[in-house]
Amino acid sequence: MSVEVEETVKKIIARILRKSDLDFSPTATFKDLEADSLDIVQILIAIEDAYDIEIQDEALEGVSNMGDFIDHIERRIAEKG
Amino acid sequence: MQSAKPLKGRIALVTGGSRGIGRVIALRLAAEGADVIINYLRRKSAAEETVREARELGVAAHAIKANLAEPDRIEAMFDEIEASFGRLDILINNAASGVARTALELDDRGWDWAMDINARAFLLCARRAAPLMKEGGKMVAISSLGSRLAWPIYTAVGVSKAALEALVRYLAIELAPRGISVNGVAPGAVESEALKLYTADQDMAQSSWQTTPAGRMVRAEDIAAVVAFLCSEQADMIRGQIIVIDGGVSLAPGSPPAADRDQGG
Repeated sequence: MSVEVEETVKKIIARILRKSDLDFSPTATFKDLEADSLDIVQILIAIEDAYDIEIQDEALEGVSNMGDFIDHIERRIAEKG
Repeated sequence: MQSAKPLKGRIALVTGGSRGIGRVIALRLAAEGADVIINYLRRKSAAEETVREARELGVAAHAIKANLAEPDRIEAMFDEIEASFGRLDILINNAASGVARTALELDDRGWDWAMDINARAFLLCARRAAPLMKEGGKMVAISSLGSRLAWPIYTAVGVSKAALEALVRYLAIELAPRGISVNGVAPGAVESEALKLYTADQDMAQSSWQTTPAGRMVRAEDIAAVVAFLCSEQADMIRGQIIVIDGGVSLAPGSPPAADRDQGG
């Protein structure tokens, strides 16, 4: 995982979840972070805005934890070029 | 004799126009000759595909990303419209979102999210669109029968759509002197991806909403046809109305569909 992407994603998630200090391991899930469906939508919108990428909801079905999630974001960034 | 392209030369903004009902409305307006601006939130590729399809119909088409929950994004979208087109003739307020919760489960954020996107965004868009409608115009808001009925887990959307419908009436009167017509449509259950969100745990196969007295479920094309009519000169004397598009099911929710009656003699 890229440190820059990981830090950006953490900041976005902390802002959406209204947590001043948020850290999580790659194995943490959105459920562990107490994120509901609206939180997740708002997190996706913010990440798509930050990197000008499109994250397909269907592609996230295979994403089981935050490590997978950040890997997926990095792949989308790489595909954009 | 009416032109085959009654909206030729008009410029239309369809919020949430990249997919679903908004996409079908955008393409219907394009088929009737309007240049279309497709607002989208997340689906850039879908918006680009809708733009491509609209251009194949012989009109100009353009996509603008904007989160309508954020006033500054709405401002930026209209700044771009004003700079690129200089005017607007048609505003279709279609973008909608919500959380699937009962009233007692609904939290402040879910309430605000639905109200911001489904109701406040129309006010903010209308405020910027009206001055761009220099020779009059049409605004159509896409509501829902959930504004007047009570469906399980539809609270946030239903209440926000009720606010939207009230706003339609107020804007219709306020903007009438500018030659701007404001109306809405309230579809029943429509064959769409959004429907699945609110009916996942219900037995839709047995629901009269799937059949309706008209014999079938409402389709996006049914809504687009009424919206296109409301955008035409023929609808000039319809002001501040909410047209129900539900195949009659809200009048008699328990009645069998027309096809069953026919077979039964």
